[in-house]
Amino acid sequence: MKKLLLAVNFVFALLVTAFSQGKVVTGTVTSADDGLGLPGVTVVEKGTSNATFTDIDGKYSIALKNEASSLSFSFIGYLSQNISTEGKSSVNVTLKSDVAGLEEVVVVGYGNQKRSKISGAVGTIDTKEITSLPVLRTEQALQGRAAGVQVTQNSGQPGSTQSIRIRGTGSLNNAEPLYVIDGIPSAGIDYLNPSDIESISILKDAASAAIYGARGGNGVVLITTKSGSKNQKPQITYESYYGMQEPWKYMALLNAEEYAILMNESRSAAGLAPMEALANPSALGEGFDWQDEIFQRAPMMNHSFSFTKGTESSSTAVGGSYFLQDGIVGGEKGRFERYTFRINTRQEGGDRFRMGQNVNFTYLNRSALAENNEFNSVVGRALNMDPLTQATRLDGSFAYSEMIDSDIANPANQIALNNDFWTTNRFVGSTFGEYDILSNLKFRSTMSVDLSLGSHRVFYPAYDLGIGPNDPERPAYEWREVNGLMLGENKWSNWQWENTLTYDKELSNGDDLQVVAGYSALSNRSTSFYGYRDSLASNELEFAYMNNSLNAQEQAPTASGGITESAFIGQFVRLNYGLGEQWSLSGTVRRDGSSRFGTNNRYGIFPSVSAAYNMTELPWVAEKDWIDFLKLRASWGQNGNADGIGNFDYTSLVFNGLNYTFGSEQVQVNGAGPVNTSNPDLKWETVEQTNIGVDADLYKGKLNVVADYFVKNTNDMLAVVPLPGVVGFLPSATNVASARNSGFEFALNHRNQVGDVNYSIGGNIAFIKNEVTDLGEGGQPVATGSVFGIGDLVSYTEIGQPIAYFYGYETAGIFQTNEEAAAYEALPEAQAGDVIFVDQNNDGVIDSDDKIMIGNPHPDFTYGINMEAQYKGFDFTVFIQGSQGNDILNGVFRYDLNTTNLPVAALERWTGEGTSDWYPRISHSDPNQNNRISDRFVEDGSYMRIKNVQLGYTLSDATMQRLNIGSCRVYVAANNLFTFTQYSGLDPEVGTRGTLEIGIDRGFYPAARTFIAGINVNF
Amino acid sequence: MNQKTIFMMGIIAVALVACKQEFLEIKPLVGSTEANFFQNAADAESATIACYNNLQQEVTNVQGSAQLAPHFRWYFGDICSDDSHKGGSGDGDEPDLFLFENFAGNSSSKLILGEWQVAYRGIAYCNLALDRIPTIEMDETEKARFLGEASFIRAYWYFNLVTMFGDVPLILENLSPSEYQQGRTPAAEVWAQIEADLTYARENLPRRSELSIAETGRATWGAATSLLVKAHAYQQEWQACNDLALEVMTSGEYFLDPNYANIFTEAGENGPGSIWEIQYMNASGGNWGNQLEGTFTNVWQRARGQFGGYGFNIPEQNFVDEFESGDPRLNATLFQVGDQMGDRGVFTLEATGFPHLYYPKKFFINASDEAPFGDPNPNGYSNDRVIRYADVILFHAESSYHLGDEGMARNSVNIIRSRARGGNQALLPSLTAAVTGNDLLEAIYHERRVELGLEGHRFFDLVRTGRAPEALGDWGFSTGTHEVFPIPEVEITLSGGLITQNNGY
Repeated sequence: MKKLLLAVNFVFALLVTAFSQGKVVTGTVTSADDGLGLPGVTVVEKGTSNATFTDIDGKYSIALKNEASSLSFSFIGYLSQNISTEGKSSVNVTLKSDVAGLEEVVVVGYGNQKRSKISGAVGTIDTKEITSLPVLRTEQALQGRAAGVQVTQNSGQPGSTQSIRIRGTGSLNNAEPLYVIDGIPSAGIDYLNPSDIESISILKDAASAAIYGARGGNGVVLITTKSGSKNQKPQITYESYYGMQEPWKYMALLNAEEYAILMNESRSAAGLAPMEALANPSALGEGFDWQDEIFQRAPMMNHSFSFTKGTESSSTAVGGSYFLQDGIVGGEKGRFERYTFRINTRQEGGDRFRMGQNVNFTYLNRSALAENNEFNSVVGRALNMDPLTQATRLDGSFAYSEMIDSDIANPANQIALNNDFWTTNRFVGSTFGEYDILSNLKFRSTMSVDLSLGSHRVFYPAYDLGIGPNDPERPAYEWREVNGLMLGENKWSNWQWENTLTYDKELSNGDDLQVVAGYSALSNRSTSFYGYRDSLASNELEFAYMNNSLNAQEQAPTASGGITESAFIGQFVRLNYGLGEQWSLSGTVRRDGSSRFGTNNRYGIFPSVSAAYNMTELPWVAEKDWIDFLKLRASWGQNGNADGIGNFDYTSLVFNGLNYTFGSEQVQVNGAGPVNTSNPDLKWETVEQTNIGVDADLYKGKLNVVADYFVKNTNDMLAVVPLPGVVGFLPSATNVASARNSGFEFALNHRNQVGDVNYSIGGNIAFIKNEVTDLGEGGQPVATGSVFGIGDLVSYTEIGQPIAYFYGYETAGIFQTNEEAAAYEALPEAQAGDVIFVDQNNDGVIDSDDKIMIGNPHPDFTYGINMEAQYKGFDFTVFIQGSQGNDILNGVFRYDLNTTNLPVAALERWTGEGTSDWYPRISHSDPNQNNRISDRFVEDGSYMRIKNVQLGYTLSDATMQRLNIGSCRVYVAANNLFTFTQYSGLDPEVGTRGTLEIGIDRGFYPAARTFIAGINVNF
Repeated sequence: MNQKTIFMMGIIAVALVACKQEFLEIKPLVGSTEANFFQNAADAESATIACYNNLQQEVTNVQGSAQLAPHFRWYFGDICSDDSHKGGSGDGDEPDLFLFENFAGNSSSKLILGEWQVAYRGIAYCNLALDRIPTIEMDETEKARFLGEASFIRAYWYFNLVTMFGDVPLILENLSPSEYQQGRTPAAEVWAQIEADLTYARENLPRRSELSIAETGRATWGAATSLLVKAHAYQQEWQACNDLALEVMTSGEYFLDPNYANIFTEAGENGPGSIWEIQYMNASGGNWGNQLEGTFTNVWQRARGQFGGYGFNIPEQNFVDEFESGDPRLNATLFQVGDQMGDRGVFTLEATGFPHLYYPKKFFINASDEAPFGDPNPNGYSNDRVIRYADVILFHAESSYHLGDEGMARNSVNIIRSRARGGNQALLPSLTAAVTGNDLLEAIYHERRVELGLEGHRFFDLVRTGRAPEALGDWGFSTGTHEVFPIPEVEITLSGGLITQNNGY
């Protein structure tokens, strides 16, 4: 890297020195680490574009334009210095290394702060980390990069959402962080082109997030996009990659012969004769592989260009990109396309006034298959479909199964018939003006708009998998008589106006003071319109428009729509005080109001304080030359979590439909009234967090350590608790519950150079413990997570336990004999081969009182490891990410249907005394309910995943010069190359469905393994 | 600081405080809230219909129980009496009900929780209507009628509560959060409120003859007056009971359908003797009657096996024996082995798969009359005949007896027997003057039992008349406890202990 910079710099230096003239200053720049000359250091005459670079020995020579000026010496990884040249013709400089980026400016809410001064817990991800790994979407750039930030895919399907938990699940309601992009709070970040991003800051503790008040409780993700800098030469970047995705794992399922044997056994156990088609299992052989049928290789590609340029008084950044990804299930039917266009500009109007604009337009196009449910997802159906049925008949038409009915319809046909499209046109723009009232007092006003137009179009073609129109055997889900079209139009519009005053003063005693005060107003509105028509003239998607419906009279077209609005107001002030070099103190207060809060609690106040103590200069630290930098941090604060609250949750809406039947013709007459009580006290959930941490740079910057311990208590959590029956109406959510997340985060980076090899190894790890501490007076445990194949709710949230843990029966093996079964009175229907469910309370009955915790979906710890090495023009990166100690509930199979295919584990079933002590006999009637929720379905979901392996080569200087290219890097990479896990399902990285369903696999759409080749060119 | 700076600071000061409080005052534009509803006559009518809506709730979610709670009048009225027993697939099918019919039920049962919560839910809508409709500017006659309907329905719910539980919290306004915990009000005060509500209702409700056809099923003067008759009878206020019953009988509004069996057919709904029926219509099934327009009783009471029902409410031999020989009402009340069960086939023990000899008939509907939505057990149309004219006539007989007018008492009983015999003079001879004193009272009770059999009255009649220990002693009835049911434990807890438990539970 150094070499590359050197090469670029020489070219640049040649250009600029040609125009230089006047007094010449010479000198040598050395490194404080080893005293040797530093090559490639940028030497700039302050206030001009006059610059040069040090040579291989660290020597430089610069002809000054102005007599009285100063020189700035800067080099990546070192602290910059400014030195006056007045009366000097020779300036020698020693630069101190800054491996940890102590002088690096970190974006915090409503301002920036030097890393060395930060007193809260802020994680950062820089542009290099974002763009080095070809991430498909911005959330993925966060995965494994920052300690305590857990990112999980909610599906592997292109364009699906990801869930992000900063320091654990802190709410029963909305646990997603707040996203703020260039100062605009934003619903989701899927519209961003990752290449446009300059930096990401993650505000983890309450003190850092306190300036976002009522919305910062789940942490804040601050994203800053690239905007160019002043006096910057035009730079054009083109980045492109092409990748091929493929499934990396199939579940091991029964083949046709095995399936037939087990089904015959299952029917026989229930006293049923074997099915004719299964009479001779050995003749059936392997049968049909449904996973092979639905999975495929699928392409993905990305083209992205950007242009940045700066003049004396302005800068411009323009970016555009196109991204396409097909699904490994369904190919084009699971496609995600993204077009983005962005212009960020900055202008200066005189000495005191600056303004800027950010404009982003994104077009998203998504074709989506149903995913991650046990009723109609393609993956779920493919796993459950019997291996006898072929996808198509000999004539090419789609077949249906003779074995299984109900929800398990032909998934290949489902893919073919799927026409479900979301298109989004999103415009996000902002403009600001900044005025220096005094030299150290500036006023900034920002107006921003976020407008999103989302269209949803679903066409349901008519079809029939029966043989001929009157096939009486055709299953219920294998035909649709009349086609139909649903069209929906949604509009979300937000505007925000923010005004801030910033006062920055270096006091005469050397202390410095910064005060930010501001006011923010935000308004949201969303409208929707949905319509449905059936009986379209054509059964082709191409002609699927409302006016092609033939059904004008018989059945009125249905239509619905509405509008909803909300507003926020915030006032805030933050005071940072630097007491000498040692102490950094900070205090924040924000007062937030929202239309979503009840009339009795319209405004909340969110305070925080934090302090950092820089110990580097303490004698006992300073004398240890292996410590370069040491800082202790502590913070306390309160935030709110308001984004889980609906717009009118505080009031009781009057619903129509409380009908009654009158008249001899029995006509329904509309009745209307409230259903729930109103809650004028409704307010934000309060998140109170205490954080202590330490930052250290050791061994000449070779080792950098960040460690944090936090306790995060969420109080006033919204939950529904029963009301006395005399109230009459149903209870609405009240601020009664509490949860606690506490944990330890540790990040370590080592960086070194051995000969020509530069390398770095970094890792982060977070141990987080989650516990519900209160559910309100009379609060009942909350049961969620319906898994149909098991026929029960499997997730439970109760006091003293982690949120949404798995709840069911403990098993103790298999009854080996009928005598043994008969002796166990708690299971009256049990026979030999059935599961022994443990009677926890010894009351002689197995009922819901015997359910216990059978699994915990929250990991003991999550981690990320990043290794990089550079040698000459080559660079090599390995990025590993993992989760340890979390359980997954395997709810893939529809045991309720009896005739689904089964995992090969079923071959280990009990067939006689001593044959199995863990997999029960198979029976169609299952009188003992062996498939009720139990620890049999809980698996260890720990995994370690090689997220990315990448080998790049940067073309040599000579080649580049011939091609007139600034720099050019080519690379090959693999995403998800290997995954190490014990989990039997398709993917261990199973996300959430809502906040209270964590780690339930219902036929999860797995992430793909992807091989990528790419090129990045700078002109 | 120059002038320009001061000017800029002024602008900033304005910018920082420009937003007003009203910025946060946003009202919903779709749907209305409790705050902005109740604006006009149409709102008043919708709010009144919402009071009726809750009457239809049979199988419902209740707070404090993860399971749906069935809430049928015949659960306690019939099954807990000597007329019928639970049935179902076995003792473990609705086990709470099995306990209650053996007087071993306890306060943690979802069944009583369902009774409690459905009643207070109904009362909440009535209280809301009674509180808010008076402020609406609209036609005063129409307004008074709406208020009369809400008052009547509120009285209906309190009648159920006071007969089920005894002293209950008397809630007459919607509660604010600080008032959620309420203690019990003495039954006498609850009865007084029931009387007051019904008095207001009967003064402001139209007569049945004044209803348009489209209004069939709405509360009337006759319904309010008849419920008041019952209320007085339950308090043994015989004079008031007698006066009001006579008022109904002389109003010309009601007469007995000449054919008793016709009452329980579709054609017999809202018939000439119908005073207060909960209205149901064919509706989509599979929802267990939760908040919908159909009744699930027809499925619940139909035989199991090939008839596809759940086989609840199995008539007792003791009840069958109560019918006099040849009483046509027996065959209108229940099925016996060998009977044709409508278009669903012949009743044999093999076909039902259970040894029960009788099944209830009054809610039976033919398969061909069911909702055509393809569900195997759709909710049915059968209205629940809560108060029939015959009920009022028999209260007239009972009150006349207690007031010493035995002739009038016999006369009223004979009206019922005369209709029941359906023109066949060989059957059900009229009471003669020889039937007197306690025999006459027994005759009146006998007539109630067979005339109103399996319509949800028996248990409460036994308790009201003090005959429960004798009739139900073998089932486990214990005097001083089982006249009322236990207060749901959850409600005692949620009241912060203000609600106390009934004696013996």
